[in-house]
Amino acid sequence: MLDSGRSLLERRLIIVTGKGGTGKTTVAATLAVASARAGQRVLVVEVGRDEQIPRLFAKNPKPVGYAGRRVAPGITAMRIDPFEALSEYLGLQIRVQSVVDLVLNNAAFRQLMSATPGWRELITLGKIWHLERMRDGRGRPRYDLIVVDAPATGHGVTFLDAPRVVVSAVRAGPLRRQAFEVETLIEDPERCVLLPVALAEELPARETAELVERLTGEVGVAVERVIVNAVVAEPFSEQLADLDDRLSRLAASGGSVHPELPASSTLALCASYLKSRSALNRHYVDVIGRLTGLPLTLLPQLTNGVRTSADLETLSSAFFRGADA
Amino acid sequence: MKPADFASDTLETRRIAVCVGCGGVGKTTVATALAVEAARRGQRSLVLTIDPARRLADALGIGALGNEPKVLPDEALNALGIDSGGSLSAMMLDMKRTFDELVERFADSAESRRRILENPIYQHVSDALAGSVEYSAMEKVFELHERGDFDLIVVDTPPAQHALDFLEAPQRLLEFLDSSLVQMLIHPAFSAGRMGFRLFQKGMRRVLQVIERITGIGFLEDISEFLLAFEGMAEGFRERARGVRALLAGPECGFVLVTGPGWESIQQAGEFLDRLEGFDVPLVGVLVNRMHVWPDGGVPPTFRDTNDALGALGDALAADAPADFPAEDAARAALETAKRYAAWVRRDQNATRSLRERTERSGRYWGSIPELADDVHDLLGLSRIAELIFDAAKTRDPGEESRGEV
Repeated sequence: MLDSGRSLLERRLIIVTGKGGTGKTTVAATLAVASARAGQRVLVVEVGRDEQIPRLFAKNPKPVGYAGRRVAPGITAMRIDPFEALSEYLGLQIRVQSVVDLVLNNAAFRQLMSATPGWRELITLGKIWHLERMRDGRGRPRYDLIVVDAPATGHGVTFLDAPRVVVSAVRAGPLRRQAFEVETLIEDPERCVLLPVALAEELPARETAELVERLTGEVGVAVERVIVNAVVAEPFSEQLADLDDRLSRLAASGGSVHPELPASSTLALCASYLKSRSALNRHYVDVIGRLTGLPLTLLPQLTNGVRTSADLETLSSAFFRGADA
Repeated sequence: MKPADFASDTLETRRIAVCVGCGGVGKTTVATALAVEAARRGQRSLVLTIDPARRLADALGIGALGNEPKVLPDEALNALGIDSGGSLSAMMLDMKRTFDELVERFADSAESRRRILENPIYQHVSDALAGSVEYSAMEKVFELHERGDFDLIVVDTPPAQHALDFLEAPQRLLEFLDSSLVQMLIHPAFSAGRMGFRLFQKGMRRVLQVIERITGIGFLEDISEFLLAFEGMAEGFRERARGVRALLAGPECGFVLVTGPGWESIQQAGEFLDRLEGFDVPLVGVLVNRMHVWPDGGVPPTFRDTNDALGALGDALAADAPADFPAEDAARAALETAKRYAAWVRRDQNATRSLRERTERSGRYWGSIPELADDVHDLLGLSRIAELIFDAAKTRDPGEESRGEV
């Protein structure tokens, strides 16, 4: 049986990461759809400047913002803005709104914050920690699963590193204590798992292997599988394996065999291109598996890209199947 | 702008070419290809990368890259047919090392140098300070430019989440140093302990109390200690940051925006353009990497799999095949493949159209680099990318590379 990675959905928190361009965001959205299909209440969180996930569920969606908004049955989307998270945090710490406003509106304070490293990551993770603890009226978790679309790789490690840095740089006090609690959540393999997204190409394959090594070594977060995204399927059945050669031979005689069809040379080029791409992908799927030593879930390349919730349905079906693309 | 003008402007007139763009679009490859082309034109060129680019070093065949330029042996260039007298060097930015070098250069005494380098806050700050990678990259460019060993420095910028952090980094660092809160933390009264709070006006006192309540007093003391030590070098630092900024906005520097052809990449490239224009830096052109191109370079035709057409193609394919060759399946598969490739070509053409129009309208260069079926992983591959960038007439068929090994 193909290994589908369904067990990922049993965690409380999945942090999706990967190099820019690997399609992390669509994978995060796919997991949210898969989770909702499994009957869970899922929250999908973005941390960047713009809201890309809501756009996959609707055309011209209303902003979901820091409060979050339902984008599909069972799916809530949210974008965490560090300053809003800071405001909420200070409110919880100080409890006097006028003092919170005084601090947040203080020009020197804002200046200091805009240049201070690490706090954005920390406060964002702190908010996620807080969301994980939220309970509904019956004492059940408010969200069964939280999926985070984390910043791209280099930044991704810094992102998860923030609590550890604070714990080691700050000697005592509430900040250190809270950073410690966030670190505990991230490093608890029962609750949290990190999910790297790779492409089956040379550079992303190597970088994914390096990322897995750093994450399990330095950060101490659980990584149990890798998603290989946008895998181009083998274009021909085994019986037609030499179709590209046949087309090339046909092309040598020139022209097109029928007025409805493009030139045979064009057909030959398209065939050999797709065949090489798919062979290249297959090769790097093996490389990723070998270098990381982790099970892989393959998601197929969709011809027209991932743009609508129907595309997400297709991908989430592939996720459940374990998609041997 | 024609490819030839783009080439002579970017590679021969200017001294620095900054490649910007999001991660994963092949920026390192494009930056290196630009440097190869500059060498072909007789320039002493350098590519400065931020990526831990073991792959780049492998491709160039020069072992590990370090924080100092490493020149390729002449034979390597000769093998590409380059004997123009130009040279190609590469280096990888070691951010921590560059930052430490700055401290060493500007600290006003051995004592303050030691205090900075050993301060726990500095150790974390130089690792994680927002924009410090970006800042040290620009700092290194400035230093190399001043040294004057190269005719052209091609910079492969870090894939910043906030697109242009590296342009803002020097300014942000200066604002940080100048901010009244920092100035106050530097004030000796503060390091004497809590009593110092009394000296500040009420609002500021409140802010400090809140910070202290959350972080603990020790943290503020460490920061204060760090800033005190740092103050001695602030002036040198400040002047340097101004120099870096002026260089980037000046006529010697040209920006090249690199993007992929996908919707997301194009959208982000548009945002990049907005911000580059806001910064008023000299943007020379936009290069779309890995564009799917139809064999004749134009718009893919529509073609239909009528029974007639399928029959004709099946017959032609079966001509020299064994009797059990599934002719109809073969014809269908061939057409499906062509349709799929055509869909990719159309998708890329549609996704890039508005950015292309915008770029060309503003008089900048628009170029696309066709997607190859294989990865680029050696000097020859890089040189081929350079040809694809600068010699649009020779644009290759998308399938041409596919006959190479995979």
